[in-house]
Amino acid sequence: MRLFSRGCESRQAAYLAGADRLGARERLALEVHAGSCTECADALRNGRPVDTALRGAFASLRERRTIVAPGRVRLAVGSVVARPNPWERAPRVFGRLAEVSVMVGVTLLAVGTSFEPPSAPSSSLPVTQTMAQERSRGQAPLDEIDYLRWVRLVKSNDTPTVSTATRLLMGAFDSDPVEIQKTPSPRF
Amino acid sequence: MKTERDPATGDARSDHDLVYAARDGDTVAFDALFYRYRDGIFRLGLAITKDPSSAEEIVLDTFARAHRALARLEPDDSLRPWLYRVAVNLSYNRRPRKNVVLSSLDEAADVAMANEDGSPSHVAEKAELRRLVLGAVEELGPKHRLVVVLHYLNGLNLTEIAEVVDCPVGTVKSRLHYALRRLRTHLAAHPELGIEPPRSLLATGFRAPKPITAPLPLEDK
Repeated sequence: MRLFSRGCESRQAAYLAGADRLGARERLALEVHAGSCTECADALRNGRPVDTALRGAFASLRERRTIVAPGRVRLAVGSVVARPNPWERAPRVFGRLAEVSVMVGVTLLAVGTSFEPPSAPSSSLPVTQTMAQERSRGQAPLDEIDYLRWVRLVKSNDTPTVSTATRLLMGAFDSDPVEIQKTPSPRF
Repeated sequence: MKTERDPATGDARSDHDLVYAARDGDTVAFDALFYRYRDGIFRLGLAITKDPSSAEEIVLDTFARAHRALARLEPDDSLRPWLYRVAVNLSYNRRPRKNVVLSSLDEAADVAMANEDGSPSHVAEKAELRRLVLGAVEELGPKHRLVVVLHYLNGLNLTEIAEVVDCPVGTVKSRLHYALRRLRTHLAAHPELGIEPPRSLLATGFRAPKPITAPLPLEDK
C-alpha cells in the first residue's frame, strides 16, 4: 500500500509521447492504456500543446547565428592547425643531423689531440744554428775585429756553459779566458 | 559575382571522417566541423549564460579544446554530444562578467524575431506567447532547464542528451517529464495557450500560479 500516491507509472511515457520521444509500438501501447487510465489520457492530451508551445518558443532562438570564424580558434590554440607530414621534414632533419655529427667529430678530434703525450724535452733538441753561423764557422776572417768576433762565436758553441752554481760562487766571468790567437795581418 | 556556398552544409563527409582528416592536418575538415556545430554551440552557450559575448567565447573555447583533443577523439558517428558536453561545462564554469546586464532567453529570442514578417498584432501576439513560455522555462531548475534546452533548442535526442549531461537515459526521461509537467502547470495559468492544469492538481483544489508579468529573474536560484 502506498502512503502517497505517485500516480500512474505510465504518466512519464504519456508526457514523453507529447514530445515525440516514443516509438510507434510504445505509443500504441500507451494509447491503449490511456483508454482506461484518466491520468495518462490527460497527460497525453495536454502534453501535445506544451510541446507545441515549447517548439514555437524556441523556433526563433534557433535562428540565432554567430559569425565567429575558425581562424580565431587557431589563434586561440596558438598554432597552425595543419600538422605537416613528418616525411616532408626528413631532408632538413637529416641535414641537421649531418651537421651535428660533423661538429661532434671535429670536437672529439680537437679534444683527442690535446691529450697526446708531450714530445721530448726541448733541452735534448739539437741546437739550431743559423746559416750565417754555419758559414762563418767554416773559415776564419782575415780582419782582426771580425776574427775576434769569430772566435767568440765558435767558442760559445764549443765551450761548456757555466753552471749557475759556478756563476754564483765565482762570478759571471770566472770561466776560461778566450785565447786570442794573433795571426799575422796581411801586409800591403 | 562570387557565389558563397554554405560552409555548414558544404562538406558531406561524416564527423568521423572529418575528425580523422583534421587529425592528419586537413584544415578544411576542421573548418567544416566548426561551421557544422558553431551555431548550435553558440545557442546553447547563449541559453545558459544569456550573454552573446560569453557564448562566442564558449564557441571558441569548445573548438580549441576539440582541436587539442583531436588525437584522442574517436567519434563513432557524431561529434555533437562531445562538443555540447564541453560547451555545457564551459558555460556553467564561466563566471558572469562584471557590469554586464544579462538578457533572459526571451530577450535573446526578440533579437531573432526582429525580422519576422506578419501583421504587427500577430507578431506581438506571438512574441507575448513566446515570452510566457520562455519565462516558464527560466523558472525551471538548472538540470531540468538544460534538458529542455538541449531537446527543444538544439534538437538532441534522449540518448545524446544523456551523453551530454553524463547520466542514464532513464534519468533524462525523468527530468524531461518533470520539466514538461512543471511547464504545463505554469502555462495552464494562461488560457490563451489552451493548456489545462494537471488533473491531479485540479482534484486538490489547484489554483493557477500568478501569470508572469514582471521581468524574470536572470540568475539561477
